[in-house]
Amino acid sequence: MRNWFFLLTIVILGLIQVTILNYVKIFNVKPDLLLISLLLSSLFFEMKWAFILGISAGILKDIFATNIFGTNTLLFALWTYLIIKLSKKISIDNNYIRAPLMFIVAFLTSIITRLMLLTQGNVIPLGIALRIMLLEPLYTALIFPLILKYMQPMLSFKVIKR
Amino acid sequence: MNPRFKKRNLIYSASLCVLLLFLSGLIPPLRTPLLDIFKLPLNLLNFTRHEIAGIIFYHQHMAQNEKLRRENDLLKQKLVTLNEVYLENERLNRLLSLKQRFSYRVIAAKVIGRPADSWSSAIIIDKGSYHGLKRGFVVINYLGLVGRVVETTLLTSKIMLINDPNLSVSAIVERSRQEGLVSGTLGSYLMMKYLPKDADIKVSDTILTSGLTSVYPKGLLVGTVIDIGEEFSGLTRYCLIRPAVNLSSIEEVLIIIP
Repeated sequence: MRNWFFLLTIVILGLIQVTILNYVKIFNVKPDLLLISLLLSSLFFEMKWAFILGISAGILKDIFATNIFGTNTLLFALWTYLIIKLSKKISIDNNYIRAPLMFIVAFLTSIITRLMLLTQGNVIPLGIALRIMLLEPLYTALIFPLILKYMQPMLSFKVIKR
Repeated sequence: MNPRFKKRNLIYSASLCVLLLFLSGLIPPLRTPLLDIFKLPLNLLNFTRHEIAGIIFYHQHMAQNEKLRRENDLLKQKLVTLNEVYLENERLNRLLSLKQRFSYRVIAAKVIGRPADSWSSAIIIDKGSYHGLKRGFVVINYLGLVGRVVETTLLTSKIMLINDPNLSVSAIVERSRQEGLVSGTLGSYLMMKYLPKDADIKVSDTILTSGLTSVYPKGLLVGTVIDIGEEFSGLTRYCLIRPAVNLSSIEEVLIIIP
């Protein structure tokens, strides 16, 4: 039940990202709610469901994106795998670790996306690219604890011991 | 009655009348300063009365206040809704007038979403292949060029906006007919590239589509020149263009059916 509920939450977050979030853009950049849902699913769900939820978030992002279909789906699956691996090595149980981790994941996603756009011949001016590459992860990392705070009691999360 | 007593009474009465008449004559010029003197105690008294009445009728006022607040909220909500309807009506009227004077066949659509990432500039509209839309169709609104259809589903379409770096449009300067290639920067401005060093272009020049590429009809308004610079190589110049359409707040668009 909790899993299906979170899947529904991902869909809602995706819809918010493509509609309401455009009104709260800062410097033409908005936070990535789907990436936040990916980190939450990787940290708080069993491996099977973490993959299902992470890939669902990736598919949702690809549906609303204009790049080649599948980029985010693959990337989100990779992040899920790496976060699960990392959570086995170190303890990711407080926001002082989760928020920087969110920043790193979002930053690497931005770099990979930029490189993929370059391979497709889309040259984005360096200033604008840097702005997106730095501000989007920062913005995402800053609102991550807020979303976690509101979702934790709603979904009655418990940290998975790996 | 004693005649002396009667006479004295008469004198007193007459004196009183004279005094009263004198006072009544004095009152109009005295009224203003007297009122000014009494203003403070009157105010104090009135304040006390008001406060006492406030304490006595507190509950009644509270209930009335709540009722009025509810009414106010309702009216505010109605006002916002009516304002929204008014603005929509204005926009649709302008779209309709454009549709009527345009020689091409166009389809009107509403914007229902934007991309999930910050790496592209696009919108999702509520019309798709079912309504006759196809990939490559040009999208405009009453102010000018908006973008191009890049993807269609049965009921929705994805429009790449002109400020996406993926989209390039052949354009000309209206005044001098100087040609150049306009492309997006993902920011608020567009860039017209490959202009010769001696290109006749000035700030506030109007940029239109050139019609060289058959996809974009000739003469669609793209924007206005706001800055001119030289490329790093020094061989060509570029200019920054402010798009005619505010791309971050589009709500309705028209798709040209060729």
